[in-house]
Amino acid sequence: MIKLEQVTKKYGATVAVNGLSLEVNEGEVCVLIGPSGCGKTTTLRMINRLIEPTSGRILVNGKDTSQVKPEQLRRSIGYAIQSVGLFPHLTVATNIATVPELLHWDKTRIARRVEELLTLVGLSPAEYAGKYPSQLSGGEAQRIGVARALAADPPILLMDEPFGAVDPLTRERLQAQFVAIQQELKKTVILVTHDLDEAIRLADLIAIMAAGKLVQYDTPETTLSRPASKFVHDFVGSDRALKRLSRISVESFIKSAPTVTINASIKQAEAAIGSRRSAWVVDDKGQLLGWIDRTDLSQVSSISEGMVTLESKDIALWQNATLREALSRMLGQGFKSIPVVDEDTKLIGEVTLGDVEAATAEAEE
Amino acid sequence: MPDRQTRRWIILALASAAFIALIASTGVWEASLRFLFPQESQVLHPRASLLTLVVEHLGLVGISSSLTILIGVPLGIWVTCPGGRNFLPIVTDLTSFGQTFPPVAVLALAVPMLGFGLVPTVVALFLYGLLPVVRNTIAGLRAVPPHLLDAAYGMGMGRFQALFRVEIPLAARVILAGIRISVIINIGTAMIGAAIGAGGLGSPIIAGLVQDNLAYIIEGAVPAAILAVLADQLLANVEGSFAYMPEEATR
Ligand SMILES: Nc1ncnc2c1ncn2[C@@H]1O[C@H](COP(=O)(O)OP(=O)(O)OP(=O)(O)O)[C@@H](O)[C@H]1O
Ligand SMILES: [Mg+2]
Repeated sequence: MIKLEQVTKKYGATVAVNGLSLEVNEGEVCVLIGPSGCGKTTTLRMINRLIEPTSGRILVNGKDTSQVKPEQLRRSIGYAIQSVGLFPHLTVATNIATVPELLHWDKTRIARRVEELLTLVGLSPAEYAGKYPSQLSGGEAQRIGVARALAADPPILLMDEPFGAVDPLTRERLQAQFVAIQQELKKTVILVTHDLDEAIRLADLIAIMAAGKLVQYDTPETTLSRPASKFVHDFVGSDRALKRLSRISVESFIKSAPTVTINASIKQAEAAIGSRRSAWVVDDKGQLLGWIDRTDLSQVSSISEGMVTLESKDIALWQNATLREALSRMLGQGFKSIPVVDEDTKLIGEVTLGDVEAATAEAEE
Repeated sequence: MPDRQTRRWIILALASAAFIALIASTGVWEASLRFLFPQESQVLHPRASLLTLVVEHLGLVGISSSLTILIGVPLGIWVTCPGGRNFLPIVTDLTSFGQTFPPVAVLALAVPMLGFGLVPTVVALFLYGLLPVVRNTIAGLRAVPPHLLDAAYGMGMGRFQALFRVEIPLAARVILAGIRISVIINIGTAMIGAAIGAGGLGSPIIAGLVQDNLAYIIEGAVPAAILAVLADQLLANVEGSFAYMPEEATR
């Protein structure tokens, strides 16, 4: 789908990109990563011809891009720039509609598309369509930036640090959302990041660059287990085992957990716990309230009396979380198991330390 | 309750109507000037009615300012785009020169070539008002953040699309501010037209100076001042209603 052949870009004496060859297949996510100034942005911008390479060829869909009119090429490649770059004088809806308008879509089709995209990136169309960029938080703006890049449904997406300027928590949610969207849309994506964890989480293939050159191009698993050079080895760091856990979603490790509702009788609770040490307590809607210990059951008259209350959002994992997050919660809270909730914060099960260990061992092979 | 901007338009419309009514009522002027200057035998310049003078004046300003805008804004755009960048220094130098050069001197030079009347006056006013328009157009376009142009081109806009959809809207406020300064300067400077027979509110002023008649001077100066205030408000309203303002977007 995208192929770079010996691409070089020089600025006077500086070689920003040096003989780079790279191939990204349809539907794959390629993450470009490397130290600041190694040529990631330059590489991305050569693909949509915002920068012309000094030498080498770039093929998109088998066609040499230097033979395609830049405007036409760019309208078929979504581009989310490093600094988001929403137009401040236009509303969110008009910003998203930029490329469809350039392509002369009719009004109703554009309106429908804007609504669709806002919903896709998890923002309510009614609330956000009429807002101006200055009224958005950093995370919202980045989501609009992504929506704008997706607007005309381009098969290819170039994203330059799309989740750069947000807090870690928001970043994690945006990444999870990206994974979900990508699963649905299957775009060919080249994404630039500084953040190795982000690369590991999102990439089908990671392209590690240094000083304008490609130093390793492999799946995250291979990159972590078999770094091609000392540079890559140092770059991925010594916590590779831990990093690998962020490739694995908790979803397939969710086990049904012993659960009692808050107004169940002590007898029912004892039955639910069985031989285990404790059970999660939920309200009648299934929302997590806390947990109760088996040994406490015999000493209290009701569940609410013996229950330890928890702040669900501090403890529970979202079902799209990774094993790495699960492990970090367990270590942070001193729990051997962590409850998992769905989007409506309903308890759906738990992940245990034993499972995380098993997964680590498996990935180690 | 209409919003703030609508209210400002309504106030401006009422003020303009009052102004027109005032200059049309010769009797009121004559009576008040007579009251102020009882020693003068004549208090209104006999050449033309006040209404005619105002219309002449507006004509001078209208023609020269339109020329300034129609030529100044495109000129500013041209020298900031890649094709015209080489001409940037020469254009800024020439326009600054146009403003430092006194319009009276332009008139003196223009009369031998262009004769008396409207044409040399318009030329002088045009040159004199060009600088603020060109300078603000350049400054406004320069101030558009480069990453927004990047986004514009990156999404497949052509040169003109980027210009009209992104650059000009973002620079509009600064460009309009330049136009506003230029027009206000013009209303004052257009007085000199009277010296070479182009008419306008300068006529009673010059006659007043020559004949030492203060009433004539007031007859020319007061409407010109009001005209300047009204024009300033008009352009401020245009700015407020049509140009993007960073602080306004957060309302
Ligand atoms: N227009 C330019 N003129 C001269 N040198 C440039 C230009 N653009 C980029 N460079 C140089 O090319 C190199 C690569 O820049 P690039 O923007 O691609 O880096 P990057 O990997 O995206 O960095 P970052 O992670 O900081 O965004 C840098 O050394 C930079 O100084
Ligand atoms: Mg960069």
